[in-house]
Amino acid sequence: MSVDLIFKIAGVGILAAVLHSLLKHAGREEVANLVTLAAVAIVLFWVIDLLGTLFSEVKNVFKLF
Amino acid sequence: MEILQIVGFGLVAAVLIVILRHQKPEVAMLVSIAAGVVIFLFVLDKVAAVVTVLKDLATRANINMLYLGAILKIVGIAYIADFGAQICRDSGEGALASKIEFAAKVLILVLAVPIVMAVLDTLLKILG
Repeated sequence: MSVDLIFKIAGVGILAAVLHSLLKHAGREEVANLVTLAAVAIVLFWVIDLLGTLFSEVKNVFKLF
Repeated sequence: MEILQIVGFGLVAAVLIVILRHQKPEVAMLVSIAAGVVIFLFVLDKVAAVVTVLKDLATRANINMLYLGAILKIVGIAYIADFGAQICRDSGEGALASKIEFAAKVLILVLAVPIVMAVLDTLLKILG
């Protein structure tokens, strides 16, 4: 049970939200958007890895080739 | 008691998703995907045990493995497609979810053709 992965993803999300609002208040709209994009990219990287594991496991169990 | 672990995990994930949904809906969606995958991976080895028992029963009853393999493939396709469709529907893409379900139905129909042909063959043998 990889609960830590969920906490990792949610942590990145919360951090990105805080950074976004901070940068927005500082008037750096474009950097704030970049922070959002980077957070989504990092999390997407982990989630795609996890999805690959899921698909290969389902393929193994149900003999889908 | 694995069910307690799973329910606890689901509740924690739900709280995190609700926190994130207002600020970052895209990250909230990814959290929900990850939580779904983790829960399914957790029970997948038990599904594998059930599949092994089913295969054992099929060999003992002298059922052609072709049919059991087709059924297992259909179950796998249905699960994967349902997973994707529900995530699409959760993120507001109902039309895309319907297309995924349609594609899954077509693929299942293709896999079921040998079984339908076998049924028809048996029927013709009985009739003729």
